[in-house]
Amino acid sequence: MRTNRLNLFLSLSAAALVAVSCTDLEVTETDSVITPADANGSTFVGVADVDGALNAGYGTINGLYTDQAGYYALQEVTADSYLIPTRGSDWGDNGLWRQLHQHEWNATQAFVGGVWGGVNGLQLIMSEVIDPQSNASSTQKAQAHFIRAWSMLTILDLFGQVPVRDVTLALASFPEVLTGADAVAFIAGDLDAAISGLPAASDFASREKATKEAAQFLKARLMLNKHIYTNAGAADASDMAAVISLVDAIGGSHSLQAGYFDLFRDTADSETIWWVGASVGNNIWNGMHYNQAPEMAGGGWNGFSTLAEYYDLFEGDAFSNNLDEMGMAADGQEERRGGVPQAGSLIGDIPGGSDGNGDGYADGSNIGNGFLIGQQYDYDGTPLQQRQGRPLNFTRGFGQFSNLDANGNNTSPELINNPEETGIRVIKYSPVYGAFTPHKIAFRYADAHLMKAEALHRSGNSGQALTLVNELRAIRGAQALGSISDQDLLDERARELYGEFVRRTDMIRFGQYTRGWELKASASVGDTKWNKFPIPLAQLALNPNLTQNPGY
Amino acid sequence: MKITLRKGLLLFAAILGMASAQAQTVSGTISDANGPLPGASVLVKGTTNGTQSDFDGNYSLSNVSGDATLVVSYIGFKTAEISVNGRSTINVVLEEDLQALDEVVIIGYGATTVKDATGAVAAVTSDDFNVGAIASPEQLIQGKVAGVQISSNSGEPGAGIALNIRGSNSIRSNNNPLYVVDGVPLSGESNVPTIGGATGGNSARNPLNFINPNDIESISILKDASATAIYGSRGANGVVIITTKSGKTANEPTIEYSSSLSVSSLANGLDLLDRDQFLALVGNVGGDVQAADAGANTDWVDYISRTAASQNQNISYSSKLGNGHIRATLGYGKQFGIIKNSSFERITGRINATQRYLDDKLTLNVQASVSRVNDEAAPLSSTAGFRGDLIGAAYSANPTWPADPNYLPGGSLINPAVLLTRTQTLTNTERALLNASLEYEIADGLKAKVNAGYDESRSLAASVTNASDIAVAGVNQGQTRGNMQAIEFTNRLLEATLSYNKTFGAVNVDALAGYSFQSFARSGTFATAAGFASNDLSTMRDQLINSTRTTRNSLQGENFQQFGYDPSSAGSNVVVNSILPTGDNRFISETVRGDKTGLVAALAADRFNVVDDIQSYFARVNLTIADKYLVTGTMRADGSSRFGPANQYGYFPSGAVAWKLSEEDFMGDAFSTLKLRAGAGVTGNQEGLGHALYLRRERFGGVGISDNYDVNFIINGPGVNVVSNPNPDLKWESTISYNAGIDFGFNDDKFSGSLDVYQSNTDDQIIGLPAAAPAFGGSIILNLPAEIENKGVELALNNIWASTEDMTFSTAFNISYNENIVTGLNENIYFETGAVNGPGLSGAYAQRLSNNVPLFSFYMAEFTGFDSSGFPTYADVDGNGVGDPDADKKYVDADALPDVNAGLSLNMTYKNWDFSSYFTGQFGFYVYNGTANAYFTKANIVTSRNVTTNVFNEPEAVGSSLAVSTRFLEKGDFIRWQNASIGYNVPLSGDGVLDNLRLSLTGQNLLLFTDYSGVDPEVSAATGDLGSGVPTSGIDYNSFPRPRTITFGINARF
Repeated sequence: MRTNRLNLFLSLSAAALVAVSCTDLEVTETDSVITPADANGSTFVGVADVDGALNAGYGTINGLYTDQAGYYALQEVTADSYLIPTRGSDWGDNGLWRQLHQHEWNATQAFVGGVWGGVNGLQLIMSEVIDPQSNASSTQKAQAHFIRAWSMLTILDLFGQVPVRDVTLALASFPEVLTGADAVAFIAGDLDAAISGLPAASDFASREKATKEAAQFLKARLMLNKHIYTNAGAADASDMAAVISLVDAIGGSHSLQAGYFDLFRDTADSETIWWVGASVGNNIWNGMHYNQAPEMAGGGWNGFSTLAEYYDLFEGDAFSNNLDEMGMAADGQEERRGGVPQAGSLIGDIPGGSDGNGDGYADGSNIGNGFLIGQQYDYDGTPLQQRQGRPLNFTRGFGQFSNLDANGNNTSPELINNPEETGIRVIKYSPVYGAFTPHKIAFRYADAHLMKAEALHRSGNSGQALTLVNELRAIRGAQALGSISDQDLLDERARELYGEFVRRTDMIRFGQYTRGWELKASASVGDTKWNKFPIPLAQLALNPNLTQNPGY
Repeated sequence: MKITLRKGLLLFAAILGMASAQAQTVSGTISDANGPLPGASVLVKGTTNGTQSDFDGNYSLSNVSGDATLVVSYIGFKTAEISVNGRSTINVVLEEDLQALDEVVIIGYGATTVKDATGAVAAVTSDDFNVGAIASPEQLIQGKVAGVQISSNSGEPGAGIALNIRGSNSIRSNNNPLYVVDGVPLSGESNVPTIGGATGGNSARNPLNFINPNDIESISILKDASATAIYGSRGANGVVIITTKSGKTANEPTIEYSSSLSVSSLANGLDLLDRDQFLALVGNVGGDVQAADAGANTDWVDYISRTAASQNQNISYSSKLGNGHIRATLGYGKQFGIIKNSSFERITGRINATQRYLDDKLTLNVQASVSRVNDEAAPLSSTAGFRGDLIGAAYSANPTWPADPNYLPGGSLINPAVLLTRTQTLTNTERALLNASLEYEIADGLKAKVNAGYDESRSLAASVTNASDIAVAGVNQGQTRGNMQAIEFTNRLLEATLSYNKTFGAVNVDALAGYSFQSFARSGTFATAAGFASNDLSTMRDQLINSTRTTRNSLQGENFQQFGYDPSSAGSNVVVNSILPTGDNRFISETVRGDKTGLVAALAADRFNVVDDIQSYFARVNLTIADKYLVTGTMRADGSSRFGPANQYGYFPSGAVAWKLSEEDFMGDAFSTLKLRAGAGVTGNQEGLGHALYLRRERFGGVGISDNYDVNFIINGPGVNVVSNPNPDLKWESTISYNAGIDFGFNDDKFSGSLDVYQSNTDDQIIGLPAAAPAFGGSIILNLPAEIENKGVELALNNIWASTEDMTFSTAFNISYNENIVTGLNENIYFETGAVNGPGLSGAYAQRLSNNVPLFSFYMAEFTGFDSSGFPTYADVDGNGVGDPDADKKYVDADALPDVNAGLSLNMTYKNWDFSSYFTGQFGFYVYNGTANAYFTKANIVTSRNVTTNVFNEPEAVGSSLAVSTRFLEKGDFIRWQNASIGYNVPLSGDGVLDNLRLSLTGQNLLLFTDYSGVDPEVSAATGDLGSGVPTSGIDYNSFPRPRTITFGINARF
């Protein structure tokens, strides 16, 4: 009997061996959709889920808009709008922030590499959606055209050259590289397809995705900057006419709205053309001090500050930007400069506010809006201190504490060796409405309005441009300008659109990106190589069609 | 199981008798001190007339001349020559061979001795294992084998151990050897998930934690390609073969019980400021003393650490059973870490059994083990940023804070007491490893064997954080959060081999051919939840697991990849993202009815399920000619489902020759052993590659819950991503290696040793690079045309200084030298790695890999001192006249891999006493003191963080920047007195129930000699690779300190 059992065991073993022998080692689809490579080495046979791919695309954009590093840093910190001083041990970060502000980055800069990879990846996914093999609907294709245009325009703007991949070729093939007019034409083609295929904006929620107006806005931006991308020297009149008509088209369903800081909430307004589901938290907390609303989720990170010269673009007192007890401007400042409240607001006075610690005040209501300078206050009006016990008194200047003068300017300014309180802070999204609300503005009608003004100005029609600028200024409670110049237009954009991902592009268009500003490296001033970021080093090895931008 | 000396001389009993020339039949039993020896060889000297002892040690040999001499041999024992002298019954007791060269080495699909091996192989048996509090098998042989560097990553109980054989062959993180346990090659991937918590989660666990070290009989190390090529594609990093104890030496039922109790305490600490010193320094640097003073006086390192007691209990039963034998063991161990909230508990059971059938021609072998491991991890993380983890927080915590778990310091700083009381990370792992083989002797010398292995593991790690009333590290006040990851893992092995062993005249042929199929199935669920009904950590853990299971079980079908709900999901609505097996649109996101427990406000889960297969054909031939010339040839063909059709199969040949010079007549008697060896071979590597990278794989994107408790795929809709950039051309990494060695012994091998030189070159390095844009997210895994060259020398020396009945004294010394370099890498391609973490150190790194440098080369600014104002200055590299720590980085001629590893063991016995001790040393490497960079500077005292006392006298200015530089790079050379043990065998009359009783006292990590200023230079914190995929080595950051441990042990045999 035992032998029989054994024979059975032996036979079973042999059978099992035969059964599994000589497996073909093919992978079965256990948890994903799998496509093998064809004879050309391409694995593309169409996107398995078009909506999923589009959503992944929007997810990538949300990521780019969420972080204060990466895309935001390249557009804002490399300009005159922000700097991040090294405060003791904080914010040194391998020199990342300092290099950006000083214009001393190189081809290994981490943010440059990250944005290059992420934004270009978006293009590939959208090209796959557009490819006939994916069988996308016309609306889905129009969405993809918009996102691809956004991706390629962003790359063109930052790097001056755009690698383009034919999705039907193997991943090992080298992408073709578009520059100048070719790149602009390609992007414009995408935007025309998007404009014709996308539905017009309807309710506020629909503006989280691309709409006809968003595509028109993006095309207006492309045309306004076209002469920079094509290195044409001056703007072409027909391009400016295109900007004007595109903005006019948007104006059919969008308009300027009074109440500047109400625009930066997740409630409906008439200005928002495209908002993204990116958290506003980083933009709030990257500049706040640790002791400002410490009970709130996030807490301050005490990094991002602005330059005094940027603050000085606004009307109002140079050394003080307070609000009175009623929350009204107390130092002659215009609405957009915001102000520092002298105490918090009771929770009952702030609809939609929260009071997590139950102290009776709306969380974050002691922080204020806009530009924070001078002494900051706790909810009950007590002056806040920084962590060494000195008054939390945000200063105009940067550098060692002992070198600060009575006005908060620094007699020997430095980017490193800063104490906690140096630098004017900027806050546009109020924590009162949530520390990490997923609602950030990408495109806004005021930007379109100013683009139209600029296009008119560049077309020689400065009178109409002045009218448009003053129309905006009246709504913002600022005094009317008597005349308009290039500088006025750039400054108006600075006042209206601070922290909205456009400062670098604007400064380049007005030829000011290479000028000197506070704490920029003197050797970098005047060098036009900084107008384009370097192609990340490894990419040069991976794609011989790329050439490094001059100077790197 | 120490070597006893009672086997003093061979017992050639009953030698006398009448000589007779008449041919006769001789029979008897071959045994050793413990019992019968099956398979021992009995040969009439000068003839080919021979046999082997059967399973009970019996032999019978006919046609033996009365004046003949029998040669009785068995590997691991001294060969005996016995004159027949006309007797018909001769029982032989073989003496175990103490000499290292006779050590049995289990090689793949067979066994040999060091003396007969052609390749670079070594074995350590239980007699020579390290003793004390041993958590994992590698620790048993730490320092015992030349060319094998074994470093525990930290002092955390149950933490991973790096076992590196002959340097690093691979750029990416897979330099682990192949582990083979009782014939079953284990998967290279961890069966224990790591899980993120408030400040990271649990660290990587040791993959061998499921094995009870007490069950191990021997550990063999195959170092060169001629030995490892039989494992082909998995042999490039060497092979470690673990063999567990069987019951074969038990004549009668034997019960063995061992028990140990250990006490561990902090061995080395840092000299941090106390309250008064701290406040004085704050004042010194112009800080506000009053603001910095929270009133208390707390020693935070003392607060988070403890003196920990640990225990280990083992009981084994071995016996002859039926037509075979059996050994059954139960083991229990619990080890507490010297940092609070860390512990490691293991329960193991094992049965090893052998049965013989059909006149002993058929042998069934079964090895079955089950284990349960419970890990408790403190909130530690090598990637912790500006807030630090528990250890970092304890180093930098203001000593005037009260030791109060309800105290919240301002400024996002961590109160270590808050971390300890409001986080919990527990992991439970169950694993069963079964192996059954049937071997049938078809004809004399021809055997067929079928081997089936089954390895199943289920592991669940969960980490919960309660920030309901106070912010905890990264979790905001008012939130409760938890993450869990469950991994199930099934590894199946089926092997068939045919072996043939026959002597033809002076030539012995030992041949083997085989087929093997192995499949590795892995599946798992990651779940994250927020908004718990309870604030109690253990209850939260239950709620997390319960909610995930309940919702998952309420969903129809098996096709869903993700499911979840959040406060916006009404009623019993659950969003499910499914991948359908067929159809036009296979990705479906839908809202369905599902069960919710109501215990968490938001839940998101993501599942995976992959299977990888390897299929192999292999053959080996060993020829022994005149017992002088040894030739080995091996060939293995491996096919892997990880590669596309063009590169699916890899071919791995090897060959080796050896010449036993000492057997040559012209050598005389100067040497008792002298053997020359040379070998070469090709091996491969595909470990850690991930699933099906040659294919385009599309899945829903990852899951997460925002600060508002929104589940990402509910708010924004699920995205579908291409998992990685497909690379149809992906192929094996291949290593060509050469080895030459000499084994020698003098004076009957009392003094013996071996010297090896080797070189290996690994080509087609598999690594991820960002693909040429535009490409999908992540990198493309490809074969870089780059080579890593390792070369080195190994020397092992063993000497028996004294060997008398009363006293023995022996030493074993080994030393090895290895150097490596990367060549052939494109100059535009480099990898930044070795992240340096801490306040203001985001994106900072200390190492770069590029062409013509060794792996783990440090790359940073060269610190040149402080200027007159106390600001750091750096060497100017780019020639712009300014030394900038970010722009002026360079290779600083330092790397993290020790050039020299050495170990020295001393063993001594005197009557009933035995003593052993072991020293280890590593030399020629650097350690980056990331802890000092992050915390111990003037800049930190300004922000009211504590520092070490040496900061007092630094000329550094307050607020000077803290870039990575050679300021924090130190030589790591050290010698450690790792182990000392004294044991006493209690003399027993032999009449009682006790057969043997041994008491021992062991100390571990007794002394450390080093100039390194941190806690311990033998560290490797996985601080992050900045996405490069290149691992980190030699960076010290909040490392879990190694304890000093004293163990009392008792061992009794009945």
